[in-house]
Amino acid sequence: MMLMAAAFLLGAAACLAQAQQRNIALPELRSGSTYMSPDIKAMQDDTFANPAMLWVEKGAKLWNAATGASAQACASCHKDAAASMKGVAARHPAFDNKAGKLLNLEGRINQCRTARQGAPALAYESEELLALTAYVAHQSRGLPLNVAIHDGARPHFERGQVLYQRRMGQMNLACMHCHEWNAGKRLLAEPISQGHGNAYPAYRLEWQAAGSLHRRLRACYFGVRAEMPLPGAQDLLDLELYLGWRGQALLVETPGVRR
Amino acid sequence: MSGPNAPTGNRFSLHKRVLQRLLQRQLLAAIWCAMPYTVAAQAAEIAVLGDGIAQPLAEPGDARRGRALLLSRDPANCVLCHGLNDPAVRFSGNLAPPLDGAGSRLTAAQLRLRVADSSRLNPDTIMPAYFKTEGLREVASSYRGKPVLTPQQVEDLVVYLSTLR
Amino acid sequence: MADARIQVPAQVRRGEAFEVKVIIRHAMETGYRLTDDGKPIPRNVIREVTCRYNKVEVFRAETSSGISANPLITFYVMARDSGELVFDWIDDTGVRGTERAPVSVAG
Repeated sequence: MMLMAAAFLLGAAACLAQAQQRNIALPELRSGSTYMSPDIKAMQDDTFANPAMLWVEKGAKLWNAATGASAQACASCHKDAAASMKGVAARHPAFDNKAGKLLNLEGRINQCRTARQGAPALAYESEELLALTAYVAHQSRGLPLNVAIHDGARPHFERGQVLYQRRMGQMNLACMHCHEWNAGKRLLAEPISQGHGNAYPAYRLEWQAAGSLHRRLRACYFGVRAEMPLPGAQDLLDLELYLGWRGQALLVETPGVRR
Repeated sequence: MSGPNAPTGNRFSLHKRVLQRLLQRQLLAAIWCAMPYTVAAQAAEIAVLGDGIAQPLAEPGDARRGRALLLSRDPANCVLCHGLNDPAVRFSGNLAPPLDGAGSRLTAAQLRLRVADSSRLNPDTIMPAYFKTEGLREVASSYRGKPVLTPQQVEDLVVYLSTLR
Repeated sequence: MADARIQVPAQVRRGEAFEVKVIIRHAMETGYRLTDDGKPIPRNVIREVTCRYNKVEVFRAETSSGISANPLITFYVMARDSGELVFDWIDDTGVRGTERAPVSVAG
């Protein structure tokens, strides 16, 4: 009985620690899609009208296409993506012990191409990499974000947190000033969301195209008039990990539709 | 950092917090006896006295130009964050207090400092400094070393804001 | 990368109208935009989209720069015989695209 009580207390303490670790309490956690008008939400949910499905469908073709010196397709090893890729996007970015670096989904796909398929890495933000990433991430639609912040990932997480909270650019603003202190308010007519990455790659009406989370982050750098890191840059990867932790438990919506 | 009201440790900001509290009690500058100090900005020097900048940064402002600036998307874009009851404002943000009545709440000197560098009054402010080039990081190269507004634009805005009563 | 997605019901009844949807990947560049260094980006939009149902044209649209990128078009067709829908389109640069979908008619 004592043991059970102790276990219960320990469990409660662990839950408490977990709760304190979040910077947005679970009941307040909101996906960007909840800030959108119903018509855009409907466009995201309709797998035909969602224009990003063009990229997902192209990704499916690439998944099955043999490429590189190995003449292997993704499907040659991973078979049916619906089974093998389920949950993979929700766990990324992830620290790869062997490579000794943090990989997001784009990085993981390129690692597979160069190391296994004998194919050149795809350029960040290229149609092919966007399509493959959207296709793989789509297999996690509806699953909760669940990134790991231990061992090698820890310094990247901490760096991401610093970047998230640090002022920059001529506007002298940090991510948190809008997306934490002022989420739910409006910039001009535009609602400010909590700034999660759970729908990326996503189709943005502003872009009239699908784009990566890094492209979206760069838009915020541009907005505060800061020097923009290149897509795939370490700063953006670290921020992506921090955002994944911050949005822990949000459901993957890829491919999302956003304003 | 844990929110907009998190205490900050350095003496300068504590000093400013005392000032803010005094201002809230409307004791205003009468009992404020801080020494005037100047801060070098690349474009000019601004002399902060108490909670304002008494000295105009340029020629007397033009309210008409100030209003156009306030409504423009670039470079001022005030309504991105501030509301204003003006028929020309169709959309406005709500991150910051409405500008209606700004001229009756604040003197021209106070408005000038708030436009030029609000962080002098509140280090946690989200309002960008429109006339400052120091103490910023990773500014995009096309903006580096340049304040958001010219001294004349600051004056135009201040004059227009003063008319909002 | 000419590609498109077509949606028709898995089965339709003879004599009844059925809904057809097509979404075509295209940037639909309006011609009104400038590059970062101020040069105009030339207009390139899909000019025309046609749909043939068993070789008979059942739909034609003249599209222009008012249409969004990756346009989605929805219309209805009367079910006659099983066969296929063939979409063809052409843009300002002369690039053509085509995509087809089977139609299965019951009754």
